[in-house]
Amino acid sequence: MNGASKWGNLAQYDWTVMSPEFTILGVATLLSLLDLVMNKNSDRRILAWIGFIGILIAGYFVVQNTGQNVVSILNDMYRLDGFANAFKLIFLVGVAFVFLISISYVDEKQNVKHSGEYYYLMLMALLGAMLMASSADLITLFVGLELLSIASYIMVGTRKNHIQSNESAFKYVVSGGIASAVTLYGMSFIYGLTGSTNLYIMAERLSNVFQNGFDFLVYLSFFLMLVGLAFKISAVPYHMWAPDVYQGAPTPITAFLSVVSKAAGFAIILRIFLIIFGNLVNLDMTNGQQSSVLVDTLGLYIAIVAGASMIIGNTLAMRQVNIKRMMAYSGIAQAGYLLVPFATLTVLMFEQTIFYLVAYLLANMGAFAIIMLVNRDRQTEDVKSFAGLYHRAPWMAIAMTFFLLSLAGLPISAGFFGKFYIFMSTIVHSSYWLAGIMLATSVVSYFYYFSVIRQMYMRPGQTEAPLKVPFTIAAVVLVALAGTIAVGIMPDPVLQYIHHNFPLQQMFQASGQ
Amino acid sequence: MSVPITSYLLVALILFCIGLYGALTKRNAVVILLSIELMLNAVNINLVAFAKYGMFPNISGQIFSLFTITVAAAEAAVGLAILISLYRNRNTVRVDEMNLMKR
Repeated sequence: MNGASKWGNLAQYDWTVMSPEFTILGVATLLSLLDLVMNKNSDRRILAWIGFIGILIAGYFVVQNTGQNVVSILNDMYRLDGFANAFKLIFLVGVAFVFLISISYVDEKQNVKHSGEYYYLMLMALLGAMLMASSADLITLFVGLELLSIASYIMVGTRKNHIQSNESAFKYVVSGGIASAVTLYGMSFIYGLTGSTNLYIMAERLSNVFQNGFDFLVYLSFFLMLVGLAFKISAVPYHMWAPDVYQGAPTPITAFLSVVSKAAGFAIILRIFLIIFGNLVNLDMTNGQQSSVLVDTLGLYIAIVAGASMIIGNTLAMRQVNIKRMMAYSGIAQAGYLLVPFATLTVLMFEQTIFYLVAYLLANMGAFAIIMLVNRDRQTEDVKSFAGLYHRAPWMAIAMTFFLLSLAGLPISAGFFGKFYIFMSTIVHSSYWLAGIMLATSVVSYFYYFSVIRQMYMRPGQTEAPLKVPFTIAAVVLVALAGTIAVGIMPDPVLQYIHHNFPLQQMFQASGQ
Repeated sequence: MSVPITSYLLVALILFCIGLYGALTKRNAVVILLSIELMLNAVNINLVAFAKYGMFPNISGQIFSLFTITVAAAEAAVGLAILISLYRNRNTVRVDEMNLMKR
């Protein structure tokens, strides 16, 4: 490259680092065109397989990018670092699972009328999530966030003749709209104080501004952004949408919202708050000592949000009879656990978060695959639909047991070590009240997870007929089960892999290091 | 004579609060969508005011507000489309009648 291209600076950038995003964008465009030219009555499942292959290719590119130095293009509007790669792998694996579940769920005649749209909207949502993970500029972060949100609104309402689906989609749009307005209002103040949308320049200027009497505005924008972004992870100040939306959405979309959308929320929260507020210091006038604002002041509020999510999610889940509502409240509680490492901010914060997300991804995807299968077979979403599952499909019942144990955080499952590491971080940080809430609410969560297990093994079902398991569901359950048990037996290699390949320090480094 | 930045911020704050109040209390679904637009427009006023009178005045606030306007339009379009399909099935735009889910 001689730099004399008519594209100017644009030709200088290393565009190959964006190949995962380009792949997803290209496949989504291809699917939308194919959907246009295909015969109206032909089987759209081929589109799902093309999309699935596209996701695998994008995953290959992300693995290729793993372990590289930091690359930043377009003035940090796109950054390739360990943080971004870790989250992108989680999104891609999650969406690949959702595609496999969807292939046996989507039925043109019964539920989803325009199933072509279903698949490429999912890919656009994935693209939004990937942008949220690998950008360090407020504008691109916001555009990624909205790309994910708007695609999810449509996907939730995709069964357009189904009344509950319409209602939950509308509730999702309204609460999502309010949340993004609140987030943006917070972002506008922080832009006003620093005059930039680049997170690193903002961080530099903010510490001066903070010392010069604008600390109130800094706190205000922090709280506005925290409340608005809590919507995406369904943590407590903004959790009320989750049960209704999860219940009304098609089950694969519920799985998508509970894993991929939530992980994307964590990506944007960690990226924005760690960079912008990471090096703010409070100066104590009496003895001249400095204390970090994020660790000492704001960490407390995040811990309160985490504790409240665990308490509210776990207690309300006990009263639910609808399995998808129960999983929604369980998801609120899991968001609380996932916020704990961010509240305590130990050295291993990032490893703990990613490890728990991996465990949560495997367990939740497997559980939702089985929920989809059982609910559709029994034509009801009641927990009682699981009655007698052990006699109908013993392997599915055993797999579901493992997924629920992993979500509850009991041994021989990935979830146990995820929770254990997070629990250790509260001890290291000596926030014993948070550790106490974690322990107590985990015990509470056994009640509702075990109520499903009780139905499967000890209650007689209405039918003893063997449950027919489609190939794709079997594949999802098998992979998720193998992953859950393998990570549960050998957590250390996984933790080491995360530590070596996705270093958090890269988030704060300039390009080329 | 120039207007101080606090006046702009105050207008934006009032607009944001009206929007939030409307979104949380109104019964008509269309009015709720309109209220959300008010909140987003409050953000735009903030951004444009900061782009001229902020601590470090520069153009990126105006660019940001262009993105906000575009995204808000997309969101409103999707919201209205979902509302129309809801209306076709239920014949109502009143949100207090949208209570089919179990509590």
